[in-house]
This record gives sequence, structure tokens and C-alpha cells, in this order.
Amino acid sequence: MGFSARDALSEFWTSRTSKMGVALIVILFGISAYVLVSYPLNFGTQYWNKPQHWADYPKGVPPSWTQTFSSVRKPEHMILTTDVSEKRTRGIMTIDFNINFDLRADIFPQFTSFSLSDLTFYDTPPIIHLTLTKPDGSKIEDLLVESVPYPPSGQEPPYVKYVESPLRVYMPGSPAVRNAIAGYLRTEFGSTLTPLEIRNMGLEQFLFGSPDEEGEFTNIVEGTYNLEVQVEIFHEDDTVGSVKFVVGGQVYGFMGTDTLGRDLAVGLLFGFPVALFIGFITSTLTTIVGSVLGITSGYMGGRVDELIQRVCDVLNTLPQLPILIFLVFILGQNIWNIIVVLVFFGWSGLTILIRSMVLQAKQEQFIEASIASGASSRWIMARHIFPQVAPFIFTQMIFFTPGAILAEAALSFLGLGDPTLPTWGQILERGFQTGAIFLGYWWWIIPPGLLIVVTSLCFVFIAQGLEPVVNPRLRRMR
Amino acid sequence: MRLGRSLLIKALSLLMVVVVTLLLMNVILGATGFSDRMLGALVNEQVRVYRQGLLGTIANPDEITRIVAEHEETLRRAYGLDQPWVMRLPQMIWRVMTFDLGEAKSSQTFTGSTLIKDLIAERLPKTVLLITTSVALSAFLGITIGTKIATKPGSRLDRFFSNYSAFSYAIPTWWTGLVFIMVFAVFLRVLPAGGMYSSPPPTESIARFLDLLLHAILPISTLVLALSGAWIYMTRTMVLNTAQQDFVNVARAKGLPENLVMRRYIVRVAAPPILTNVILGLAGSIGGAILTETVFGWPGMGLLYWNAIVTADEGLIIALTFIFTLIYVIARMILEVLYVILDPRVEY
Repeated sequence: MGFSARDALSEFWTSRTSKMGVALIVILFGISAYVLVSYPLNFGTQYWNKPQHWADYPKGVPPSWTQTFSSVRKPEHMILTTDVSEKRTRGIMTIDFNINFDLRADIFPQFTSFSLSDLTFYDTPPIIHLTLTKPDGSKIEDLLVESVPYPPSGQEPPYVKYVESPLRVYMPGSPAVRNAIAGYLRTEFGSTLTPLEIRNMGLEQFLFGSPDEEGEFTNIVEGTYNLEVQVEIFHEDDTVGSVKFVVGGQVYGFMGTDTLGRDLAVGLLFGFPVALFIGFITSTLTTIVGSVLGITSGYMGGRVDELIQRVCDVLNTLPQLPILIFLVFILGQNIWNIIVVLVFFGWSGLTILIRSMVLQAKQEQFIEASIASGASSRWIMARHIFPQVAPFIFTQMIFFTPGAILAEAALSFLGLGDPTLPTWGQILERGFQTGAIFLGYWWWIIPPGLLIVVTSLCFVFIAQGLEPVVNPRLRRMR
Repeated sequence: MRLGRSLLIKALSLLMVVVVTLLLMNVILGATGFSDRMLGALVNEQVRVYRQGLLGTIANPDEITRIVAEHEETLRRAYGLDQPWVMRLPQMIWRVMTFDLGEAKSSQTFTGSTLIKDLIAERLPKTVLLITTSVALSAFLGITIGTKIATKPGSRLDRFFSNYSAFSYAIPTWWTGLVFIMVFAVFLRVLPAGGMYSSPPPTESIARFLDLLLHAILPISTLVLALSGAWIYMTRTMVLNTAQQDFVNVARAKGLPENLVMRRYIVRVAAPPILTNVILGLAGSIGGAILTETVFGWPGMGLLYWNAIVTADEGLIIALTFIFTLIYVIARMILEVLYVILDPRVEY
């Protein structure tokens, strides 16, 4: 190249698209770094693909910010956890938790559930009491009274329970809760509703509503609610790890959830480093293989050249996607298999291009001089040929990156992604398979696709910005 | 005569590609132990059925075990399981080459046949319809727009289409399809979400054709959106390259009208390299068609492929990979012939 690296840089920097590409790539890397630091590496198997982990999340609800555009305010899904407790002794010993939450909505919450984790006790099993105080001051005492079952005989104290999976009470399904509400309605409003009627009418309206003139619980009491959790214990060393109260709503988080209740924002974030990883590893390996073989083929000539070119011909004559599908299906859905297959079918085009460039570069006189002074072929290829094609190779490497990201996304969409590593393509595949598009779950379909587009586009922009730098003829054309 | 010979050589080399691909596929199937597993499962299933049949007729359990073992041995020999997989290669390749593709596990034709051969015969025309229409449309758009913007490089239109082609490369075809379905079929309810005909399909031929047209709008737009960007950009670059040649200047200096220069001196000369790129880009359109069919439930080969993946139907996947390679090779052959017509200088 007949101009310095500084010229090249300024040439690159004049184009607006390359600036945009660089800015985007910095952001992508920033997010990926954050995810790598804050997510466990086994996120896919340990959290994302584990339905238990998402049990308390709402299924298939839009992001909460959609409420700003809507005339009817839907209740936000709340998962309220606390591990701050206080031990008290007033005749009986209790461990107390307090949960406060705000409810502002035009529609009643869908359900409520209560969970308790990490319980240790030494003597009689503890008893849990819940009391809900509404913003208007009315109180539902002993909304839930739940006794922890006795440990099986033969076990020695301390008894440790609810470590792996918590004690979970789904309130609408609990007879105790129904009875408690019936009692509350009787004493507070003189109502004669039976527990069964309460269940059929939906108990949320009694938990979060107040009666209108006809005695129907249609008004939602807005404001700050308080849930008091008292765990009655019978030994002073008993402990409770944390409690959780879930108010089932119709909107959740920044990105909404899928039909399994998975928080899409979390999955989408994890997709950043995975996409970049696949893109970079594949493009690097592809360019290494492609350029080494291309330089060898062009410089050595003869039988080596012939062999490499015939292999290229065959690879170029194959339709890529069907072969990719075949190989990944046979070899197994593993991220490394996908990368290897993508590299295997990616290098041939580059080899052909580099070979033709090397054939030209080979004619230069200084190469002849090198040969005359006894330089080895390897030396000449590495020191004289490679630097001449290096800028082109670099551009191609950037150009291959979105290709790899898109190919992986396509494979994932066809259901051939690595199941241990959630990607944007896989999130879309789930959305397609479960019929989310036909239900109009746009928050599930649009964001992952947009992320794929933006990521690919930023590499395309950079490659486009580099093109006039490495191909001076294009510079004149502008 | 020389032309015929060079085309023959090309055809033979493409045939070689098909054979090499088949060989590689079968080597992979054999070396990974996949084909042993597959045939083993087939034999076990047949043995199970055979044993069931015997249970009613023979009372002595030892006798049954002996006969079943004998039958299993015969079957294993018939499928070549008594030999290492390498020995089965010629037979396997021959079977595929003669379209003896076996049966599909969970897909069937409209008339109920599960033979992969019949399935492909039924689905293939639908895929060809989709691909050729979209490729023809994209080619038309690419050549008209590409030559137009090449006359004014750097103009606003030129920049718009440069960005358009970057986007059309970066947007996954299938995702465009998903968004189209959501916008036009789910939210606006103006176009059908998928399939090829309404159910039940209209009986009258004109209504039937219109129904097909209505169902084809979204899949074809999706594919055209994905393919046309590359066409436009390619045509533009090739035309620009040619327009800088001396003979074009001479033609202009002679005072020939600009559209004549464009048609005879630029586009005609730029056509062969454009076609070369088309040949190379064909693989992309086949891949795009597989994904588009999946998204829109277009009952062609692509959807069949997806069904095969979802139901883990190994035999069907192998057969389809072969057929897609074959289609691709045939399409390339057609383009090679076109190439020779376009560029008489070509020699092999």
C-alpha cells in the first residue's frame, strides 16, 4: 500500500458510517464485559433453561414501560424478597419479616404467592403467620397460617429445610387463605360469602379491593401495602433465611417475559458476549485458514495450488445452509461444532481471492531479489507477501464476523443451537415455536432480532469504512 | 463445437461435486457411528415386528428365539451391518443417486405416502416457484436500480441504496419474515400469516390463483428484501468499474446517446461478472428459501427440512441435504450455460 497507516486511519475516520460502527462496537463490548463479570458462566443450564427458577415470574407479559402508553393501567408484577428479620420474644418467640409494596393499577393482580427459604430449627417445627395491612388501614389477620411439617423420625436436630426449593404457598389454591378471608369479610363487612364462593370469585379482589355501594369488591385500594410475616419458633437458635411474596401482575421488567416466565432482558443481555464470541472466533479462524492456504496456494503453485483450488471448488459448489444443518445435526448441537463447521465452509472464498492477489504480488522484483539472495519460501511468504495482503485480510475478517453471527442465529432459529448457551436466535426460535408471533407478543420477537441486526450492522459499517482504505480504486470513485 | 465440449466438462465436474459431497456425507455418517446407529434401530424395529408375528404361531419360546436370531442375522447382512461402514459406502451412494431414499418418519404427502421420493416430488415445485420468483424479481430490481444509481455515484439515491444493501445483508431473512407476519397478519390482518392456500382452498382456478398470490406476497417480499440489496450493490460496483474503461469514453466521444452507451457498452460488458456473483450468491438464496418457508409455513422443501429437524428424522435430513445440493448444482449449471452465452470469450 502506497500510503502510511496514519493516512489510512484518517481516510477511515472521514466516513460517518465507520464512526457509527466504532461507537456501536464500543457499546457492544461494554455490555459484554458487564455480562461476563456479573453472570455465571453456566447461566444457560443453571438458570435460563430451568423452569423452577422462573416459577415466580409472570408468563408472557409485556414490559412495564408499555403502561405509559396505555389507558388502562395493568398491575406490575412484583417479586418481593427480604432477608431482613427481627427476633422477638413476647411470650412466644417469633422471627419477623416486613414487606412493603405499592399497588397502583386499574386491574386486580392475577394471583399472590408466598415462599420461605433456608429454614433451620431444633425443636418443634415453626408456624408461619401472615398479616396483610391495606393502605386504608384495614387488616387481614392470619391471612395464612402454615405449619412446617415435622421432620421424619430418625433425623437429628438441627433440621435444615427449604434450601434447594423453597416452601411455596400459592394463595388462590390454599384453603387456609380462603377461610381466613371469609372470616375477615364476616367481621369487617358482615359478609356471608363462603370460602368456596371466595375461591370462585377470585380472592385477589378481597385482598386488594374495597366494597362499593352494592357491596361488590370492584374498587382497587391503591397505595402502600404491608405484609407482616411472623414465624413462630420454639427454640432460640432457629433461623429463617428469606421470605418472598409475589404479586402476580400483567407487566414486568424492562423487556417483559416469555411464556415460561423467563425475564427476556436477562436472556438478551447474555446474548451479547455469546454473539461476539461466535463472531470473533469464527472470523479469526476462518481468515487464518483462508489466508494461509491462499498465500500458500498462490505462492507455491504447482500441485499444492491445484489441490487447494480443487477443494475450494467443491466447497464453493455446496449450498451452505443445508450442509450446515446436516453437519450440526450429525455432530451434535454444541457451540464448538457450530464454529468448526462455519470455519470449514467459510475459508474457500477468501482463499481464492487471496491467491489471485498473491499471484500479482509474486511478480514484484524485490521478491525475485529475495529468492536470489537465498530466502526460504516460508520467509518470503511471511515477510514479503503477507504484509501486502494483510490490510485486505483484516477487512475480510471484519466482514466475516456478521456472517458468522447471522449463520449461528439461523441455525439456532431452526432449532440447532447449543442448548446450554442461550442466544438471540434461540430466544426467537422459542418465540416462533410457541406461537408468540401469532399472539402478537412483539416484545419477544422484535428486540432479539434488532440486536442481531445492530450487531451485524456495526461490523458491516466498519468493513465498508475500511474498503476504500484497502482498495484505492474505490477511493477515486467516490 | 468447442462450446459444447466446455459445457460438457463443466457438467462433469459439477457431477463430480455431487458424488464427492455424497461420499463426504456418508463418510461423516459412517465415521461418527451415526449410520450404524440408524441402521441398527431399523433392524431392531423390524426384528420386534417379526417376533410379534411369531408369538401367535409358535409356542416354544426357545424355537422363537432361534428363528428371531436367524432373521436378525439375515437382516443385518442385508443392511450390511455385519461389515464395517466403509464397505457399505458404494451401496449407500448408489442408493441415494438412484433416489432410493427410504421413508420419512413423521411427514407425509397430501395423498398419504411416506416415501421420501414422493415427498420431494410433491414439495420441490413449490420451492422452485418461491425461489425463482424471488430471484427473478431481485435480479430485475438489482439491475434496474444498480445501473441507475451507478450513473450518479455519491448522489443521495446512491447513498440510500448503499445503506439499503448493508441493511439487507445484516437483517436475518427469517426475522424479517417474523416481523412481517406480526405486522401484516396479526396486527393489521390484511394478509394471511402462512401456508400456500386458504383452507379449504378455492376450487375455481382464477380464485385459486389469486389466493396463491395473496399467500405469496409476504414470503416473496421477505426474500426479495433480503436478496435485492446484494444485487443492487453488485450491479452498481460492476457498472462503475466498466464505466471507467477507455472504450466507454470512446463511445461517448463518438457522440452515442447515453442510454445506448449504458446498454451496449457498459451493461453488456458488466453482465458476465455480475452473473458470476449471482452464481456465488445462489447458495444464499437457497438458504434464505429454507428459512423463509419455515417462517411462513410454505409447504416446500424448506419446511420439510425444518420438520425433519424438529422430529429428528435422520433419513429425511440426509435425503434433503443431497437434494438441495443437487438443485444447487443444477441451478449453477443453468447459470454456467447462460454465462457462456453472455460472454463468448469464455473457455475452459
